[in-house]
Parts: sequence; structure tokens; C-alpha cells
Amino acid sequence: MHRFITVLLSIVLLPASLAAAGAVPGSAERAAWVMHFDGDWQVAKGLPEKILLVSLQGLANRTAPRLYVVHPKDFQWEITEPLFEFYQRKHHVTFTEIKTAEAALALFAKYAKGYVVWEPAVSASMNVAFTLAGLEDAVVITAAQIAQVEAHGLKKIDDLRGRYTGQTDAQIYRDAYTRYWSRCTHESIMLMGGHAGAVRMPAMADWGVRQKMFFHDLSANPIHPEEVALNKKLYSELVPLATVFGWHSYAKDTEEQQTTLLSSYGLRMEGLHNLPNLSFNCQFSFTPGFKFKNNHHVALDAKLTAEKKVYLSFVQSDSIGIGVWTKPGRGKLPFGWQVTMNWTKFSPAALEYFHESATKNDYFIGGLSGPGYMYPNHIPADKFELLMQDARKLMATLDEHVMEIMDNSAADGNVGNADLTKETVDRYYAAFPDVIGFINGYGPARTRDLRDTRAMISYDYYIDPRRPREEVAADLNELIAINSKRPYFLLVHVRESNDVNSLVEITRQLDGPVEIVPVDVFLKLAASNQTYTTRYQLPTDPKHFKGF
Amino acid sequence: MTLCLTAYNSLGTRIGLVIGGLGVFICPDMNFTSWKVLGVWLALPLAAWAANPALGGRWRLDPKRSTALDGWTAWDLVVGLEGSRVNLQHDMQWRATKVTMTNSVDTATPTMAKDFFRVEQRHMALYPVPGSMTPVRAEWLDGERTLRIEATVPVESSQHTTPMRIYQELRLIEGDQELQLIELHSTRGRPLVYRFTKIAEGK
Repeated sequence: MHRFITVLLSIVLLPASLAAAGAVPGSAERAAWVMHFDGDWQVAKGLPEKILLVSLQGLANRTAPRLYVVHPKDFQWEITEPLFEFYQRKHHVTFTEIKTAEAALALFAKYAKGYVVWEPAVSASMNVAFTLAGLEDAVVITAAQIAQVEAHGLKKIDDLRGRYTGQTDAQIYRDAYTRYWSRCTHESIMLMGGHAGAVRMPAMADWGVRQKMFFHDLSANPIHPEEVALNKKLYSELVPLATVFGWHSYAKDTEEQQTTLLSSYGLRMEGLHNLPNLSFNCQFSFTPGFKFKNNHHVALDAKLTAEKKVYLSFVQSDSIGIGVWTKPGRGKLPFGWQVTMNWTKFSPAALEYFHESATKNDYFIGGLSGPGYMYPNHIPADKFELLMQDARKLMATLDEHVMEIMDNSAADGNVGNADLTKETVDRYYAAFPDVIGFINGYGPARTRDLRDTRAMISYDYYIDPRRPREEVAADLNELIAINSKRPYFLLVHVRESNDVNSLVEITRQLDGPVEIVPVDVFLKLAASNQTYTTRYQLPTDPKHFKGF
Repeated sequence: MTLCLTAYNSLGTRIGLVIGGLGVFICPDMNFTSWKVLGVWLALPLAAWAANPALGGRWRLDPKRSTALDGWTAWDLVVGLEGSRVNLQHDMQWRATKVTMTNSVDTATPTMAKDFFRVEQRHMALYPVPGSMTPVRAEWLDGERTLRIEATVPVESSQHTTPMRIYQELRLIEGDQELQLIELHSTRGRPLVYRFTKIAEGK
């Protein structure tokens, strides 16, 4: 219990403690450095240098925000450049560019006590080395880089070459568990999976090194029982409400399996494995006087009446740091954006940037499922309310009135479902009495409800960016034809890399009286006339992944 | 009972058919109305006897020449011919997940099919209704190079369960190594067109 209270306090006080540790007042001028990375993450080419640099970044940024990385425009996180500009403009950071790893070492090697050598032929050794780097203040290098870092006065702390040759990942991580886990933070853990094989992309490692996390890429796939067992052990030993940073290994398991597993321990996921610069971002608070003010289109207690037409609303939930936000045309259509609420704690400047650059048509909603990404059908009952308390606070801070839920634990293409059990729906209605309503799904789903003035609507359509636009228009028109009662509430999920201009073209091809509305208005209208069925996940619904 | 009908052969010669018992005869002077009335009666059994063996076998979707298919990454259509019955086995794949569903149609008589398989699109909230019965009609056309299937499939949407009429034509392309499936929905203004290539079993 004592441990639990400690955690709760740490969550509540985290922003303040971060501020005390090195927060930068908005008006104070300060110096920092920036590196521009290329897109080469190949193990045999560009990866070793990037691993050296992100481990160095984590150490350099331990006590102050010193090193920031800008990634190419085609990098998955497209916000590094706009955020770089934001730091200069709003936080008065003066950046000096560093062009080479050598120059970075010259500046920042003093924040490291030594180096640890990983072995590219044994992929898990990279994660063991990152764990050790955080604990021992080491940079992570390959054998070929020893001379380079020793030239900057760094001494060997450990050399993993040969230690794990021929061992399975389960064996390697068991050894790491024995050696290091007790010294690592138990408030978070780094699931450094994602890309595997010839290309790896551990851009989030700076954060794990800074925070002294345990790095691993253990599988949640039941075909790997030894890895699953150790994964469970680690998750069970994290403090309540802890965070799993990173992402699952693309080579071992699925997003659905890993998220199901961590949700069953009441944990939350914050991805991806390549989310950069958290060690820098966490040290900036909101600028003085800044307060989140959402573009509400309707008051919480307003009552709207739907007309006999089709109401369509667009939402994007793949984290607003990815994709559509920076694509052409944003602002031309009402758009709901699911905000990664936890960024309030470790990347506030990014959230401020999004709010600052929002148009009147951009509306922010909470999610995903709670204070982080999790699958609510699997959250233990005794942890649900505590998690949602945190979510309510974050939504209040972010001035959000809509909660988005997603549970893909039973989903798998056309096989399976993305629905909520009635028990889960009951919990949300109890936990969020003051929201306008709820939305559910990622792909389409069929959980729907209406209680008092709060509607819960699932996505009826998912726009894959690769799907030809004429087919998207035909699909939407088919849904409009089949759902023939009016009003019809057509909620559409927009996958990350669509652009808004193409959506404008699609809306011009829709049949019937169609009105595009913001999602808060959409939910209010849906509460006025329930033309949709009430439905929850049924025991007979197909479930592809049946759990652990 | 003896039945007579009149039609025109490919050279424009007026001919008639007389069907008595199991025999088929030509009689020279039947009127056109007789043909129309009896043609309907005769069409199904005649078609039933005319299955085209070239349609049988395993056909693999060519995604580049097909309407975009979401929620499935691979689709083999395995056609089995048993007299008037045509078994359409759909071997579907989504990443590592494999699903096999078979629709059996009968070119001799309309049937009711339980859990008729509709190739769903993952991005649309339209769902099959488990245990539902679907009326299905099938017919050979175009000299047995086209199999036409008409089915009225119940689908669950966010508002209700409602019938969707599906019209399919499986057309053999010249050379018999390619197959085109054209599908129309009563609810959709745009056809779905899928192109398949014949492959050897076991591949």
C-alpha cells in the first residue's frame, strides 16, 4: 500500500518534480545543441553511430536539456522539426548545430563514465547494453567504436561480446534481469522492440537511458512461452500504474498481444520505440500563462436535436505527432485529434505546440482508453478506477470532453472484433460522468450505447491511406445506403498518413444530405435520437486472439 | 409429355426442340412464344449439365489488377465442380491468420445457404449474421464461360440487420488461365472487380 501511495504521489507530482529538476522558464534564454540525423538505421551501416548518439543524448540530458535531434521529413515522427522551431521561438533556446558524432563526444563525453560494447550479431545485447548504460552512465558502442570513445577518455565498463553467444533471448534477458533489474526504475520499463533484423530504430533509447529503465523486447506471443513468462514477471514487478515505453517487436508478436498483456497488469503503453527526444522534451514545462483551451463547439450541458440527415465526423487517433497533422489541408474539415495525454507529463512542449498550431476545426479528445494506450477489457477491476482518475485529471488539464476507447485484444483483420464488453462499458459510464460521450474502435467496431446524455459510438469506417479515394467514397456511400434511417451517425477513423485535402474530395462525392460535424457536436446529436442499436461484445463474437 | 420450342441457331436458321422424356428432338416450325415460355423452364437443367471444367481448380487473386481488398492480404478461390453443384472455396489470409469458407451453389435449382460467405472489407462496419440463411441462385452463361450467382445476404450494420443483394459473375478469360470476378451490391454504386490467375494445386 505504501508503495502504491508513493507511486500515486509520484504521478501527481511528476510535472512539478520535472520542473524542479531542470525545467526551463519560457522567458529564460538558454543554449542547447542540435543534431540532424539521416534516415540510415541499418545495423550494418548507420545504426551503431545512432546508438552511440542516443545513449549519449540520454546521459547529456540527465540534468539539463542539452541535446536535441531533428529527423528527416520522412521519419515517422514528423514533429521534430516543427518542435525544434517551437523551442527556439517559445522557449528562447539557442541551438548550436553538431555535425558529427566526434563533435558530440567532444562536447558530451564528460557526462558519461565509460562505455559498454554490444554485439550486433546478438540483437538482444543492444537492449542489455542500453540497460547498463542507464545504470552506469555509459555510452553504447560496437567494437569498431572503442578507439573513438577511448580517445575521449571513456573507459570500458562492460563488454558483452561473447557473453550471450548462442543463447536465446529468454536466456539473455533472464541474465540481465538477475544482474540489473533490481537497480532499474520500477516506475517504467523500455520495450525496445519495433523494427527487427537488418534495420532497427531505437530512437527512444535516450529516454530509457536517462530514466534508468530496463530495456527488453520480450515477446507476448504465446508461441514464445519462456519470453512471455519473463515478460509477465517484469510487468508484475512494476509499481502500480507504471508505464511501458516503446513498442512490441515486429519480429516476435503483435501490438494486440503485447498491449493485451500489459493491460492485464493495469499498465499503459507509450510508444513508439522510435519516439525521439523525450530526454530533452521532459525538461520543459508549458510556457508561462499557457492554458489549454480546446475548440469546443458545444457546451457540456447543451442539448442538440438531430435532423433527418447523415452526420459524419472524422477522428485521428494514431497520436497527433504522426502523420495527418503536418499534411496539407488541415483545418479544411472538422477533425477530432486523440491526444496522447501522458505527454502532459513528459513532453509538454509538444502538446503546447499542437494546441498553438490548431485551427478552429481541430478538436482534441482524450485517450487512448485511459491515461495511455491500453485495452480496457483486460484492465483488472481494482485498477480501472485508479487509472481513470488519472485520465480525468489529464483530460481536465487538456480541456477535453470526449474520451476515445480502443480494445483490439480480440481483433485481427476481418477476423475478430474491437468491441467492449458490457462490463467495460458500465465502468466507463461510471468513471466519466462529465464527458459529452465516448467513441470506440480503431478499425470499425459495433459497441454502441446511449445513457442519459452520453452516447457511445464506434467507428463505422476506417480510412486506409492506401485505399483509392474513389473506393473510399463508394464505401461511405454504401454505408449511407445500408444505414437508411435518418439521422445516421457515421463516425470515421482517419489513419495517420492520410491527408485532409483528399478527404475534402471524398466528402464532395457523398450521397444524400450529409453534414460534416466536429465530434463533440456529433456525439450530442447522437444522444438526441438513437437510430443505432445498443450493442456490446458478445461471447459469441469471433475472437482471434483468445488471450494468455 | 412432349414439349416443343423454337429458337434461332447461330446461322439464323429457325429450329425447334422437342423434349420428350429423356429425348431431345428438333422440329422445324415452333413459334417464338413457345420458346420464351419453355426456355425459362429449361434453362436451369440445361445449364446444370453444362459446367465448364476450365473453371475448376485453384485461382489466386492478383491484387495489382483488382479492387483494393482491406482486411485480407491473400485470397485463393478454389472452384470445385460436382454435376450441377459448384463449390466456391475461399482460402483467405490476413497476415498469419488463415480462414477457409465455402459457398456451394447449384446451377440446377435455387438453394438456401447457411452462413453464405461475403468477402468483407475490414474498414466497413458491416458484419455477417451468424446462422443466417441466404437465398442463392446460380446459372451458367455465355457458353458456360461465365457463372452468374445471385445471393441476398443479411448484413448487420450499426442501425439494423438488412438484406444486401449481391450479384456476381465469374468470367473465364480467353486462354482459361485467368478469371475475373465482378461483384455488384444493391447498396453500392461501384462494382468490385477481382482478377485471379490459375495456379497448380498445392502451390
